[in-house]
Amino acid sequence: MSAKTKRYTAGNAFFLALPILLGSSAVLAQGHLDVTTTVQKEMVVTNENGETETRLIGAETVVPGERVVYTITFENTGADAAENVVITNPIAESLSYVAGSASNGDMRIEFSADGGRTFGIASELTLVDDGIERPATTGDYTHVRWIMQTELDVGAKGSASFAAILE
Amino acid sequence: MMAGSRLVAAGRRLRVIALHGALLTYSAVAGAAGTPVGTVIENTASVTFDFAGTPTTVQTNTTTLTVVERIDVVVTLQSPQIIVAGEESDRALLFNVTNTGNGSEELTLAIQNAIAGDDFDPVEAVPAIYFDSDGSGDFTAADQPYEPGVNNPVLAADESVDVFLVNDIPAGVDDGDLGQSQLTATSTTGTGAPGTEFPGQGDGGVDAVAGPSGGEASDIGEYLVSEIQIDVVKAQTIADPFGGDQPVPGATITYTITIQITNSGAATASALEDPIPSFTTYVPDSLTLNAAPLTDAAGDDSGEYDTTVEPKIIVRLGDLTSADGIQTVEFDVTID
Repeated sequence: MSAKTKRYTAGNAFFLALPILLGSSAVLAQGHLDVTTTVQKEMVVTNENGETETRLIGAETVVPGERVVYTITFENTGADAAENVVITNPIAESLSYVAGSASNGDMRIEFSADGGRTFGIASELTLVDDGIERPATTGDYTHVRWIMQTELDVGAKGSASFAAILE
Repeated sequence: MMAGSRLVAAGRRLRVIALHGALLTYSAVAGAAGTPVGTVIENTASVTFDFAGTPTTVQTNTTTLTVVERIDVVVTLQSPQIIVAGEESDRALLFNVTNTGNGSEELTLAIQNAIAGDDFDPVEAVPAIYFDSDGSGDFTAADQPYEPGVNNPVLAADESVDVFLVNDIPAGVDDGDLGQSQLTATSTTGTGAPGTEFPGQGDGGVDAVAGPSGGEASDIGEYLVSEIQIDVVKAQTIADPFGGDQPVPGATITYTITIQITNSGAATASALEDPIPSFTTYVPDSLTLNAAPLTDAAGDDSGEYDTTVEPKIIVRLGDLTSADGIQTVEFDVTID
């Protein structure tokens, strides 16, 4: 993936002017909303000042125990504001969602533990296991979704991200 | 008259119960295999929104992650501390070696006995590394020796093998001395700091990456020198029919045998056997253990009067350690 991608870690991840990802990431333009997903992993590198720092770099391979970060960026390239924007991302079975890792911006974050049929916020999500209902754990999550609470204005951009660990 | 009492003990006790516990713990760990090498993880997000009341859904591009091989190995001592005496040979320590990576891995095994901090170095038997080929958990004649480069263990992801280190105990060790012996398992792909990459050396030619173990792991087992000491003392008191203490016909002899374990270790399945002296007759129902009466019959309690071969008393004391304190056996005979 694009090695030029940078991730801004300061505060609110939503409405940050993220660079548009080009290169190998195909950008689909449909219905006036451009959306892109990338996957990266954390790597500890030594910078020009000799200090070690953790950077996110584009990932093509992964080993068990490694943490990866998925980022979905979106931009309203249409002529009207987009309403009721919901970004939904499945969590592969071999990945385990990292608790608290979903960026929230001012979006409502919900999870599904039943393959995307029903969603709820983390503290209220339950699962029926052997006929018994129990609270869902992060390892049970099959989907994460972000629900925008406001309109996405013409020309506005945003992003949503979450981290997962390969089992 | 002081015919030799005999204390039979089945040798030092190995804490087999603890060993079984360790094995159960291990089996609970099994099944934690990582995602297999070569797994492809695709991710596509979808975004729904309304434009002027018209619902629309768009899909993002699809990202692809390929799972490559993580090299990891764990060595875990299974044996409790082994109680030994000087100059014993072929004392075995059991280890479990597990491939905790997500691909197949060939390992080499090595023994190291020069370890700082112990009191003596166990002496490697020749050979010193064996597989627990019969799966018994005990070092037996069926177990096959490890030959480096010839029968290196090749373990699938999450597979494990049990390995013995076999050592002799040198002469000149003292009670309480500790000797350590270390087993190291090393990936033949390579070792390095976690994250070290071995391009193209994983299963099926994918990259391999050193995991938290760095591709090498070891664990240390211990031998503790403890010379168990068993003191058996027999005393007698004579009461003659005339109120005196002369060994005349009709006099009663009361034998008192005390058994004391000192030092660490245990005498397992110990039993005291004491023949009834010639020209004397056992006094029925006179046998006691720690002042508690024992019947003469076999099978109902820990003591019996046995006439199968020659008349003798038998008291089964079971497993004895120093914590049991002094055991006292008494019985009477009369002089014929």
